[in-house]
Amino acid sequence: MAKNATVKTIKESARETRVARECDVVVVGGGPGGIGAAVSAARNGADTVLIERYGHLGGMGTGGLVTIIPQLTDYTGKQQIIGITQEWIDRLITRKAVDMPKKEHWGSMDKELVRYYFERSFFYTRLDRVVYAALIDAEISKIILNEMVEEAGIKVFLHAWGTEPIMEGNHCKGVIFESKSGRQAVLAKVVIDSTGDGDLFPYANIECETDIPAHFRIANLAVCFWIAGVDYKKAMDFRRNNMKEFMALMRKANEYGGQGGFMTSNLPDQESVMWFHSRYPNKSQIDVEELTRVEFLGHKIAGKTIEFYRKNVPGFEKAFLVLTDPQLGTRSSRRMVGVYQLVEKDLADNQPFEDTIAIFPDLDRGQESLDHPNMYIPYRALLPKNVDNFLVACRAFSSDKHVQDYFNLIPHCIAFGEAAGTASAMALSAGVGVKDVDIKALQKQLAKQGVPLPDVTKKVDYKYEGPPLVSASFIPPH
Amino acid sequence: MSARNALRSITEPSRKLKVVREADVVVVGGGPGGVASAVSAARNGARTVLIERYGHLGGMATGGLVNIIPNLADISGRQHVYGITQEMLDRLGKRGGTSYPAKKDWGTADKDVVDFYQDANLGWFYLRKGSDGRPRVLYSAVVDPEILKDEFNDMVLGSGAELFLHSWGTRAIVEGNTVKGVIFESKSGRQAVMAKVVIDSTGDGDIFVSAGAAFDNECDNKRRTAWLALVWWVTNVDLKKYDDFKASQPETFRELMQELTKLGGYPGFFKSVLKNMPDTVWYHCMQPQPERTDAMDIEQLTRIDITARKRALLTYEFMKKRVPGFENSFIMLTAPQLGTQGGRRVIGEYTLTEKDLESDEVFEDTVAVLANNDYGEISLKHPALCVPYRCLVPQTVDGLLVACRAFSSSDTINETFNIIPHCLAYGQAAGAAAALAVKTGVPPRRVDYRVLRDTLRKQGVNIPEAAKTKKETPSATGGRSKDFYYQKYRGPDR
Repeated sequence: MAKNATVKTIKESARETRVARECDVVVVGGGPGGIGAAVSAARNGADTVLIERYGHLGGMGTGGLVTIIPQLTDYTGKQQIIGITQEWIDRLITRKAVDMPKKEHWGSMDKELVRYYFERSFFYTRLDRVVYAALIDAEISKIILNEMVEEAGIKVFLHAWGTEPIMEGNHCKGVIFESKSGRQAVLAKVVIDSTGDGDLFPYANIECETDIPAHFRIANLAVCFWIAGVDYKKAMDFRRNNMKEFMALMRKANEYGGQGGFMTSNLPDQESVMWFHSRYPNKSQIDVEELTRVEFLGHKIAGKTIEFYRKNVPGFEKAFLVLTDPQLGTRSSRRMVGVYQLVEKDLADNQPFEDTIAIFPDLDRGQESLDHPNMYIPYRALLPKNVDNFLVACRAFSSDKHVQDYFNLIPHCIAFGEAAGTASAMALSAGVGVKDVDIKALQKQLAKQGVPLPDVTKKVDYKYEGPPLVSASFIPPH
Repeated sequence: MSARNALRSITEPSRKLKVVREADVVVVGGGPGGVASAVSAARNGARTVLIERYGHLGGMATGGLVNIIPNLADISGRQHVYGITQEMLDRLGKRGGTSYPAKKDWGTADKDVVDFYQDANLGWFYLRKGSDGRPRVLYSAVVDPEILKDEFNDMVLGSGAELFLHSWGTRAIVEGNTVKGVIFESKSGRQAVMAKVVIDSTGDGDIFVSAGAAFDNECDNKRRTAWLALVWWVTNVDLKKYDDFKASQPETFRELMQELTKLGGYPGFFKSVLKNMPDTVWYHCMQPQPERTDAMDIEQLTRIDITARKRALLTYEFMKKRVPGFENSFIMLTAPQLGTQGGRRVIGEYTLTEKDLESDEVFEDTVAVLANNDYGEISLKHPALCVPYRCLVPQTVDGLLVACRAFSSSDTINETFNIIPHCLAYGQAAGAAAALAVKTGVPPRRVDYRVLRDTLRKQGVNIPEAAKTKKETPSATGGRSKDFYYQKYRGPDR
């Protein structure tokens, strides 16, 4: 906080705020969680409104330049996340705007294949195996997501910042949003918070945690940027044939104030663009002054990076900085303490919850992941304790820091959204609150929509019996 | 607007808001007008806070990908716009972040030189016709949006101003007739910044509206300012192959472009962005605003954003499939900010109208001189337009200045004089005036024009001496109607 900050306040007087819309379900935030939520709610018959702060949908997946949908198969190669995530990818396939390992290679331990895919992308291998992860085109994705919400008949407000819930006791009547049309309200029967940060929590008195240890992946903010105009072959040949010199250059880039190291995680026909990821550990993602400082630093580093690379790194002579992320890369902030909170011990439990609404492959924790190949998500992790018509469908779902550190990525958020949206619409048509939705019916409907779900009646007796692990577990780079 | 809920409203109760800063000057909006305001206010000694909605500064020039700073000199080659615009270009120049015609070429009609710039990056902005009908080279600069974001950050921080990014300034805090601060939304919640002077650089006058200032938003559909635009860049284009195809098979090319137009795509683009981006082309997806022409209707903004992206994709897929040179291309980037071109305009102490285009009047409170290049014969006769400080001062509200395209002007003037270098100039003036008002303890309306002018001159702004007697110049157009005053130059994108 700032030096001259005081506890001074001003009094804002009461006012009349125009109601722009009345609907069944309002979703705040058009990132992966919000897309999943709005599309599912609308497809299941709810009159749905989606409010998005920026001019595009997709959140971190598009505006954050985190153009990767990872962790879709478990270590055996079985795809566990399908649903709307797969639909997004399928639509990209028809536009030739996505890249991924071939289906027949998922789960393969073939050394050559694993090496090949590792070179293609850091996200294509885990636990000595090939996994299904998709690299996506950010721009085409924006267009595809627009199409999906339009086809579903959703009323979208872009350039609209949903800021506050309208509370009446334990009931949330809708949300307020700010835009170029002024301050307005959307009234709804169900409100879904997909803001990523649980922006509605403080105003709705929803219990949450914000503690994040400094060394956790989720404690990092990121400014992603793209450098284009790179001679890919020249750059890669240099790296391959002069590894030592290359590494020394990368260190020098850091010393110069730039970013050493980059990913070639671009689509196959987009080789002239390199992806840089500058990280800022231990930052609050809901403190606007911190966000400002990180954004400044990120642009400074991006500028130094292009200067250094152009002068010193073969293949970058004609390169230029094409884009710094339109949205700051945030990883985690508020986490709800909901009806059920997923906690560390759940990371070792292989028994699915009775109200499981999604399965997430567990791939980043080395041997522990082999012993616990899948994480089950209960519907209750989306429900706050104190508000009766409210769902959370984003990384602010009910989890402790350990669960959050691994399971708050794009496909996970889409899955939260798909469950929350479907549940809202079903609750409304059944005339019950979202807490009283028929879980079996919800699971049946999700399964019908292509969401893999476990047999929750079966007692699970699982033990890893494959070969011992060779590669190190994924360590979040700090 | 959705008809079915047109009249409903809810009551929000009174509440307390945290005041995060008490400053001398708070500037809302970090586009060109806001950056210049903040830098100028801080350099002139005011404790300044700048509030910006996005994560970067520069507005349309960076986030909008409108990376062109045109009309710095008149058609004869005489430079009018200096100040912070020139400083920005000098700083960018040191980092290879800008390109513009060499000084010796400004105003030249030499055919080789003209052809060179015609074919250069964003060439259309470099040329205007002279009195003999031959094109002349203009001083217009193209900038690298990413380098500019960093440079603007440095300029703002270097000036001592404090910045809140990811913060949407939404409302003025008003006491009686005087603005006392602003409310902004962010991930830290709803908060307030108090200030002695507030500068509205939101582009659309978001703050003066909430302060109750009178404004005008009339604008007819034919004006540039009534359109919205999404800029996007396509890269990996083999421009030589494209040019060869166009030259060798003009008929096929024409038919293809007609087909693309019929499908709803955009046949026109600008070749390359900066000089070091030879295979990247710049598309400008212009969209008329059918319902409201002031960029204020969020439902229309949403529709236009979605349609523009659809048309961008259609264009890209067509070009890739059908047009030689585009085989390996891809959409590198669509603009992070939707390109808005005009909105509300405050009603100030003075309103610039088309009549001022032909008066040559040097106001006693002139704070900026702008090159007038887009009105054909009028421009040749009246190459410069003076802007009085009063255009930045709202008539009815105190404690507030307007430093963006929402300055006090008729839609005719606004169509041409509301772009990046102009907003930078308004900002520089407003910032200096705000600091002066704070220092001398008077409302912005009452600052001493002479001191303001001297300050701006010292800071590199070109301001002529006010004439003792008004110069009367016979009108070239004999008092035509407003409809006469449309820009005579239209880009290939319309």
